[in-house]
Amino acid sequence: MMQLHDLSVEFDEGFQLSNINWQIEQHQHWLITGANGAGKSALAAVLAGYGEILAGSTSGLAAKIGWVSFEAQAELIQAELKKDDADITDVISLGTPVSEIIFTEEINPATAQGLIQKFQLEYLLDRAFRKLSTGESRKVMLIRALSCEADLLILDEPFDGLDSATHALLQNHLAKVVKHTPVVMVLNRFDEIPQFISHIAYMEQGQLRYQVACADAQAYDELKQLLHLKTTDLQVPAADTDNLTPALNPQQPLVTLTNICVKYTDMVLIEGLDWTIEPNQHWQLSGPNGSGKTALLSLITGDHPQCYTNDILVFGYQRGNGESIWQIKQHIGYVSTALQWEYRVGTSLRNVIISGFYDSIGLYSKSTDRQKQIANEWLALLGMQKRGDQPFNKLSYGDQRLLLIARAMVKHPPLLILDEPCLGLDDINRQLVLALIEKICAAKETSVIYVNHHAQDRIHGIEHYLALEKSLDNC
Amino acid sequence: MSNNYFNTLPLREQLEQLAKCRFMHMNEFTEGVDALKGKKMVIIGCGAQGLNQGLNLRDSGLDVSYTLRQSAIDEQRQSFKNASENGFTVGTYEQLIPTADIVLNLTPDKQHTPVVAAVMPLMKQGACLSYSHGFNIVEEGMKIRDDLTVIMVAPKCPGSEVRAEYVRGFGVPTLIAVHENNDPQGHGLALAKAYAVGTGGHKAGVLMSSFIAEVKSDLMGEQTILCGMLQTGSLLCFDKMIDKGLDAGYASKLIQFGWETITEALKYGGVTNMLDRLSNPAKIKAFDLSEELKVIMRPLYNKHQDDIINGTFSRTMMADWANDDVNLLGWRAETGETAFEKTPAGDMEISEQEYFDHGILMVAMVKAGVELAFETMTAAGIIADSAYYESLHETPLIANTIARKKLYEMNATISDTAEYGCYLYNHACLPLLSDFMQDIDTDVIGRGLSSDDNGVDNARLIEVNEALRSHPVEAIGATLRGHMADMKKIV
Repeated sequence: MMQLHDLSVEFDEGFQLSNINWQIEQHQHWLITGANGAGKSALAAVLAGYGEILAGSTSGLAAKIGWVSFEAQAELIQAELKKDDADITDVISLGTPVSEIIFTEEINPATAQGLIQKFQLEYLLDRAFRKLSTGESRKVMLIRALSCEADLLILDEPFDGLDSATHALLQNHLAKVVKHTPVVMVLNRFDEIPQFISHIAYMEQGQLRYQVACADAQAYDELKQLLHLKTTDLQVPAADTDNLTPALNPQQPLVTLTNICVKYTDMVLIEGLDWTIEPNQHWQLSGPNGSGKTALLSLITGDHPQCYTNDILVFGYQRGNGESIWQIKQHIGYVSTALQWEYRVGTSLRNVIISGFYDSIGLYSKSTDRQKQIANEWLALLGMQKRGDQPFNKLSYGDQRLLLIARAMVKHPPLLILDEPCLGLDDINRQLVLALIEKICAAKETSVIYVNHHAQDRIHGIEHYLALEKSLDNC
Repeated sequence: MSNNYFNTLPLREQLEQLAKCRFMHMNEFTEGVDALKGKKMVIIGCGAQGLNQGLNLRDSGLDVSYTLRQSAIDEQRQSFKNASENGFTVGTYEQLIPTADIVLNLTPDKQHTPVVAAVMPLMKQGACLSYSHGFNIVEEGMKIRDDLTVIMVAPKCPGSEVRAEYVRGFGVPTLIAVHENNDPQGHGLALAKAYAVGTGGHKAGVLMSSFIAEVKSDLMGEQTILCGMLQTGSLLCFDKMIDKGLDAGYASKLIQFGWETITEALKYGGVTNMLDRLSNPAKIKAFDLSEELKVIMRPLYNKHQDDIINGTFSRTMMADWANDDVNLLGWRAETGETAFEKTPAGDMEISEQEYFDHGILMVAMVKAGVELAFETMTAAGIIADSAYYESLHETPLIANTIARKKLYEMNATISDTAEYGCYLYNHACLPLLSDFMQDIDTDVIGRGLSSDDNGVDNARLIEVNEALRSHPVEAIGATLRGHMADMKKIV
């Protein structure tokens, strides 16, 4: 059993892994995954004894390791190139032949020979290792690692640069190897994950964030989706150019609230509030329960009846002058827990996204092919492309929230209101939602109003803050 | 005293008016709310219909305010709070009615005569008076000033749903009509259409009807299948189960939620689908029971329809109004004292399918009631479209109110007029079915058929299926549900 206990490790260039607690039991095969720069390869390297331990301890690490990684490959090539530089004679160095690289003392020659035949690499044996293509040198590395009768195989992105035939051969071979040798694999794509993997370690910012057994189907799916959002370049699908909402004057504020007062018979909720939201400003709205956050937002969306008794200018409409709420809502994307509660319809995921074009809960209009296409692109973005026809109400709570954010964004509204979008979500779903919001904020064509309680949910890219206080006035 | 308008018409016109009902096409509403843009709309009454319609109309960009009686304002009654807390202007009749281009009378039926008598003299020349139920015009024969336009816009759902569906971006099915005697400028239809758009009704489907067809079909539906049959059925089925020794909590739950569950199947696929949810032997059993029920109850349905058509019903009820609602209040109290009403639903699980399997008699009652109401209405000259809406279409809506809080909730939600008719039906129907109920056992209510053998005779099954599918309510139902599906939820 290999154990990392409260381990903090530093690597060259100051990269650190911190507070790692991890245990690999017999017969387990782990996948380490995470976004780029999360520390996947570093964690694998720790098992091979790399890095300077700052705190904590390790135990039971494997003595003999077969290791394939981009770094190990680069290291070997670097060493070869150095040999070249070191050549002070005038003879052109031919470099170390592949056969010498493979058949070292550490390996079992019979196994290596078998693999060379399997991968059909005989023709390479006499060539200089440094002259090989990336794919070829990767195969050589694999043969070395797989023939050394290791106690642990570390395969860091082993499929990178392999043609599909070799990929299949390798998968086949590994299926046999895992019967007697534990494997730790590093991959940033779930679709390549081999069947024998039993556990997944998810890295984020140098920390081991989640450990999931593949048998836990729900946790597995959520992790898969999180990885998808973290690693995919978010290309927000285009707006529906056939049905564009009317353009706004870019010089005008999106929202101007003047001397706002919201009161009920027995209390004053908000009094004397002014708020201007300019295009492309991101706002965070905070305040204790009952301070009127949701009421304030519903004045903007037109859902609060007192929007007709206040001085509200939204998207060029002075409220209460014959405009309809649908003229207001067409410029707003809106997500809240309340919306999710209200969205109890058995309609499909695709239709939920399309309903965003109509600002409706449920879909009551015939949608166009273009709109369906856009909805499919959003589903793909969320990693739900195969689930478009499934009913919304059968979706997990976190997935519903993601889908409602897509619904809010589908028409590219100038204003996106997210009222406690992480409320009621567990950590991993919270990560999912925040990842999506952050990408939307970064795109800069939509102003975001973000409401929350949790300080830790602060979103990168928000630069304006409005804090409401609980009003104690009575009237 | 009143003067029944319908009875003053010659038979030819009576038949013509009764037969009015047309499902309007979406493209008849392209003008949106234009006909009401900039017009002043004043709503009388701020109960559930008044408030929620007003909220919708205002959110559609229309100018809405409320007028209440001086006393309601002075005493800050609930209606005053409803309107003022939602940011509406509230004023007395004298303050607001003279400024109104359209006055929306959303008070209960029984207040119509005094309310209309009070506002009519204050209304400006050429304005419009709108109703949501035609009782006052048709049964009481209220005469409206000649210069005024009279229309009806009736959302076919409780007020809370009118609002909830609008907020979702949809609406509720709505019936509109123009009182032809009062359409001096010929713009009644344009106003009614714009009003329906303002409440969101056009998205869910609008029926163009007449005041007369609306009143005569609405009264018939609500007192027979919709409320009466469900009340009588609830009481009989409950007592039978208790009599046979079933757990009272189970019996109460099976009925309270059973109506809603089985009529949900009705909503999606008509009577055929509701019976198709049963096993073959149970379906044949339900069919046989309903045939028996139809024979027993047909004279009662005929009597209700006859009393409605000739005005006996409204005359009797108005006499009770004049007598401080003695009958209505007494019957209401009586309903509250029934064993079914007083037994809370148990907390056992009942699966969706079990409601069908153990409720064969309930399925038979719904089938018999829907078909009888439909047959009786169409025999009286009401067009099939109207008859469908006032029978089959609305049954699930009423069943839903029973699921919420039993008969109390049903009778509280429906109008006093419907409630009165419901009790009349119940009083007549209970004794009528007493012999029939003697032979009923728990195989059709409470326990279900024993499942030893699901075999049936081929010929008999074919016969039953054929009979179910060829009933005229199924043909019109398929057409209308098809229309609705074009605009309704794309599920």
